[in-house]
Amino acid sequence: MKGKHFYSHLIEINEIYVSISEMDLPDKERNHLISLAEANIHATIINTILPELSEGDKKVFLKNLVVDNHDQTWSHLLSKIQDAEEKINRSLRELKKELLKDIEEAKKN
Amino acid sequence: MPKKKGSPHYQFLAEKWTNRHRNLQSEIFSKHKDAFQWLVDNSKQLTVGSLASIFLLVSPAAAKIPALSTTSAQISQTIDRKVFLVYDLRNVLPSDVRPLSSDEEKNVSEILARDFGIPVSAELDGKRLNATYGLIGQEQHLPLYPGDNIFNHFNNPAEADKYWSYGMTPGLGAWGYFTDSSSTLTQTDIDREKYYIAVQTFLSPGFDTNPKEYTDFFKYRKMLVVNPQNGKAIVADIADAGPSPWTEKQLGGSPEVMSYLERFDGSQRGPVLYFFIDDPNDTIPLGPVSY
Repeated sequence: MKGKHFYSHLIEINEIYVSISEMDLPDKERNHLISLAEANIHATIINTILPELSEGDKKVFLKNLVVDNHDQTWSHLLSKIQDAEEKINRSLRELKKELLKDIEEAKKN
Repeated sequence: MPKKKGSPHYQFLAEKWTNRHRNLQSEIFSKHKDAFQWLVDNSKQLTVGSLASIFLLVSPAAAKIPALSTTSAQISQTIDRKVFLVYDLRNVLPSDVRPLSSDEEKNVSEILARDFGIPVSAELDGKRLNATYGLIGQEQHLPLYPGDNIFNHFNNPAEADKYWSYGMTPGLGAWGYFTDSSSTLTQTDIDREKYYIAVQTFLSPGFDTNPKEYTDFFKYRKMLVVNPQNGKAIVADIADAGPSPWTEKQLGGSPEVMSYLERFDGSQRGPVLYFFIDDPNDTIPLGPVSY
């Protein structure tokens, strides 16, 4: 990931980077696709977390997120969501599978 | 010549992943609108800085993503449209405050016209200002008529409480009093003073060739003024000339304009966009613009 996020320690997406790199694209296009993959990962994680929180905790989470306090964000989530790490990982695994499938499909075109 | 679109692999993935990301954003904002609205409402206290940073919460790489076939405004009407405006402007404005290029002005005017439904342009009737994107400073109230002063200037105590402290200019605006006396004062005069901006008319290209024509053109000319960092917009009119170039500011706003746009002077000063409004039949009212 280009920037550090509260979930950075959970993510292993080298496989996606490698798969994108195999397509022999110009740097600009490759970097754009990596940015898009990372944007999808970020949004997927937010979309996994928010439904698990109460209205009050959503505000705390967004506040922590906006001030970029990774440790506080993560500890808040661990205290409020049961099996937070597993839930996030599950979403990430599904997304990763879809993104890799998309790449394979693109290569066939 | 057709625009180069990139390799087929790239096109396929870029379109698919952009759409997936936008759908996710849309879902997040619409499902948790109250929480995001709370964040928007409290952005000042949280020193978030701008709505853009809130939007980027669900899109850390969005600023790097070029537009494909659709704009973000087409995604969902349920999302706070100010957030989309901030996002779209962020993608077309330079990182530093400087005069915009023709292409940049075109992009900005298209976004503003689309979002507000108001015809705006950098140039009108062959005339333009020296800038369309610049730092705005705080102006004082202008006297409406001979004898108008800070004690009788306001319509009601609430307005007086809020705006009294900004004071009134010792001189007059570029076009003198708005009317001859308190008995001839109209709501139009009141609004023209309330929502006025001062722009550097004297620096507009061509001004020296025919000052009277240009001065007449600028008098009470309506402009759409937008804070690109929070998406707030106001229809203002030009009622004064200034500020001086040495101030390093490009325009000034009345206390009411500055307050609404949440712009401040001094070390906290920031930029606004200001574009002419084409309103030959005078149908667009002065004041804050809703989406």
